[in-house]
Amino acid sequence: MAIWISALRSERIKLGRSQIILLAVIDPILCAVVGLMANVSNEEGSWTGLFMVMTLLHALLFMPMMAGIFSAFVCRYEHAGGGWKQILSLPVSRSALYLSKLLVVAGTLAFNQLLFLIVVLGAGLCKGFDLSLIPWEVFAPKLVGGFVACLPLAALQLFVSTVWSSFAAPLVLNMVFTVPNILVANSVTYGPYYPWAQPMLVMMQAGGEYDFGAFGLPIESLMITVGGSFLVFLAAGLVYFNRKPV
Amino acid sequence: MTEMMIETRNLTKKYRGTRAVDALNLAIPQGEIYGFLGPNGAGKTTTIRMLLGLIKPDSGLVQIFGQDLKRERIKILRRVGSLVEYPSYYGHLNAVENLETIRRILNVPKNRIDEVLHTVGLTKDAKRSVKGYSLGMKQRLGIASALLGGPELLILDEPTNGLDPSGILEIRELIKKMPQEQGITVLVSSHLLSEIEQMASSVGIVNQGKMIFQDSMPNLQRKAGSEIHIALSDPEAGMITAREQGCFPRLDQGKMVFKGIDNGQIARLVSALVDARHSIYRVEERRKSLEDLFLTMTGSGSADTADADFRSGSGAPRAAGLPREAAQ
Repeated sequence: MAIWISALRSERIKLGRSQIILLAVIDPILCAVVGLMANVSNEEGSWTGLFMVMTLLHALLFMPMMAGIFSAFVCRYEHAGGGWKQILSLPVSRSALYLSKLLVVAGTLAFNQLLFLIVVLGAGLCKGFDLSLIPWEVFAPKLVGGFVACLPLAALQLFVSTVWSSFAAPLVLNMVFTVPNILVANSVTYGPYYPWAQPMLVMMQAGGEYDFGAFGLPIESLMITVGGSFLVFLAAGLVYFNRKPV
Repeated sequence: MTEMMIETRNLTKKYRGTRAVDALNLAIPQGEIYGFLGPNGAGKTTTIRMLLGLIKPDSGLVQIFGQDLKRERIKILRRVGSLVEYPSYYGHLNAVENLETIRRILNVPKNRIDEVLHTVGLTKDAKRSVKGYSLGMKQRLGIASALLGGPELLILDEPTNGLDPSGILEIRELIKKMPQEQGITVLVSSHLLSEIEQMASSVGIVNQGKMIFQDSMPNLQRKAGSEIHIALSDPEAGMITAREQGCFPRLDQGKMVFKGIDNGQIARLVSALVDARHSIYRVEERRKSLEDLFLTMTGSGSADTADADFRSGSGAPRAAGLPREAAQ
């Protein structure tokens, strides 16, 4: 446990001087623009309406992309400077190292999600919505669920990022699979198992007759799929990383 | 018997059918600077990567500090500092931050960073980002990283590769200090015999994944041997004079070539030759180059019989190993 925290603190130094936080800011800024331009009426349910409008870009495009970028980022410096040799010659288990990198990715995604909430609130205030009417019982599960639904993708992308020494290759892969998101999400059969669509499926369920395709699935079964695929990708990544010749 | 810091038994690694490392038995005693010598592609780096657990051997055993590497990897690595091939670094960080990433994992006091930076002479440039460092500085930072945990065993793979002469000298002096000042055992690999000769106290030579020689440095020097070449006006007659003195040279391109001859013998021989009215043009010592040594050693099959045949060819200087010719 202690060594795991050490590894985590070591990761922090490497990211300290990097521009990773700037990347986490781009998403909320663009979503804020969408939110401010959106024509959401100022009446009951307007917070939820605003949230849904802003979520579209965030969950459909940015969250999967960020999961890929952050994963590639935490491996970038090891690939670039021959750092794998050095770091794996240190007295730290490969699993601890891998998990600390995954935790950094998860932490950055959580931070990204938090920023998103802040810009939703900001956009609402600009539109003159009443703060006391914020439907936390709608926001909270969507924000937390959306974050959790990113984790399988993060685990998958981290796996790919440790395999490929190029920084760009995992990102290209990620983009290629992110683009057909909206199509895949329409499929009840494949949608839930598609890691790139999972954040969107969890965050954009409107409830009732508005849901179509995989959006209509009950949240419980969706989360079981998310948890299962997270475990599969994590296990695959760990097994590979522990055997990786350096 | 001295304690072995590193011991391998039949260490083998195959890459696509060819044996990069073939049944290697390494034995490195405590307190030595062990020179791990071999041409490029001989399996030095592969061996070192196996010693650090970076790759898994196909078969064989690695013991470091008398413990099995497979079972006690983390415990062993805690006491080992290493630098494998080219140095690893985080370019966007400065030297202190680079060392800090390692320090946090090793969990040693913060002042160790200043200490190792001082040891390798990087204190002045500590706050510059490593991107702008010269290769020599990066190499020294790599050694600083290896020293950070206060290791008992230092494994350095080609630490002088690609450095200029002054950089090579600096690194060499740094390595030579380790056993004396800090009691560190050092494994240092190189493809240059002269390099190893100047710092190692014992030596292992690998070729095509096989250990072909492993002994102390003085023993290697004895085996490599130097030859004394004497060029003179009448070599045929000179041969007779030499035999009268109890020396049995061979004739090679108008020069008498002596093997295993000491200073006293040379002095007596030269004076006898002068007395016999020979004109002596030059007396020179020729060392075997690493290449010659390899040819002899691999040509005779195994390390056991390596000294059986030492008839070298022309003895002409070759590119490998900087052979030195000292006029006497």
